[in-house]
Amino acid sequence: MDGHIRKVYVPMTETGFYILLCLRKEAHGYGIVKKTEELTGGEILLSPGTLYGSLSKMEKDGLIRFVREEEKRKVYVITELGLQVLELEMKRIRRLYCSMMEATEDERY
Amino acid sequence: MKDTKTEIRFFSVPQWKKEEQYLRDRHNDGWEFTGVGFPGVYHFRKCEPKDVVYQLDYNEDSVRSRDEYIQMFSDCGWEYIQNYVGYSYFRKPVSEMKVSEEAIFCDDASRLEMIKRVFEGRMVPLLLVFFMVIIPQIFMQAEEGSSGGRGVLILFIVLFALYLAIFISFAVPFIKYYRSVHRD
Repeated sequence: MDGHIRKVYVPMTETGFYILLCLRKEAHGYGIVKKTEELTGGEILLSPGTLYGSLSKMEKDGLIRFVREEEKRKVYVITELGLQVLELEMKRIRRLYCSMMEATEDERY
Repeated sequence: MKDTKTEIRFFSVPQWKKEEQYLRDRHNDGWEFTGVGFPGVYHFRKCEPKDVVYQLDYNEDSVRSRDEYIQMFSDCGWEYIQNYVGYSYFRKPVSEMKVSEEAIFCDDASRLEMIKRVFEGRMVPLLLVFFMVIIPQIFMQAEEGSSGGRGVLILFIVLFALYLAIFISFAVPFIKYYRSVHRD
């Protein structure tokens, strides 16, 4: 993974994170919107302009790849590089979560 | 009573936020936007007054991969109206929104990307003409010094001033918008 990818995608936007998380299985844009809505209990609604831009950029950077077209919808899937980036992001978020739990431990009990 | 009307309004390239608000206001007054024809000429059809959010995107893919592009917006409930000189027009009634004030962009990173696309699509070609034609011509004509050359020199100086005015009128709203996105 080169420095450019690391700089642009770590840390990444919430939209970027949900795209990669969803694309561990093949999906088209609207499928990603639906899946994200489901995962977040409706709290995050991805917008089409944001999603379209992110998908194009991630495809160009090789994080995801185009699989096929289904009724005018492009189906994508994550690549090996995308998985590496996602793994880095998950590690960073896990660390954030652990720090948060540790720092607020006294307040919770 | 006529059920269509035409209005003339001018919005400079970086003023799409104002244009969106203008179209929303018209719809609230009972005039549904049907399209832009000639620059600055807006067409409307009479309708029930309704709160409908209008949004503009600037994306080359709206021409290159037109079908997929429009499909993604329509899947998310945004009706495509038309493409006009690089801008795509979409709308969605507030009553159909799941969250209040839905928009076609949901984060600052993508709002900034859109500003960049407008800049690259519109400003870069102008800047190229400015630096590769107008400025060299002014120097060339000034050096020649003949009377015929003077007329051309004046012409290029007028063009220089005109371009400068365009750049400033572009840059000011761009910087304002860029800052407003960065702040929130």
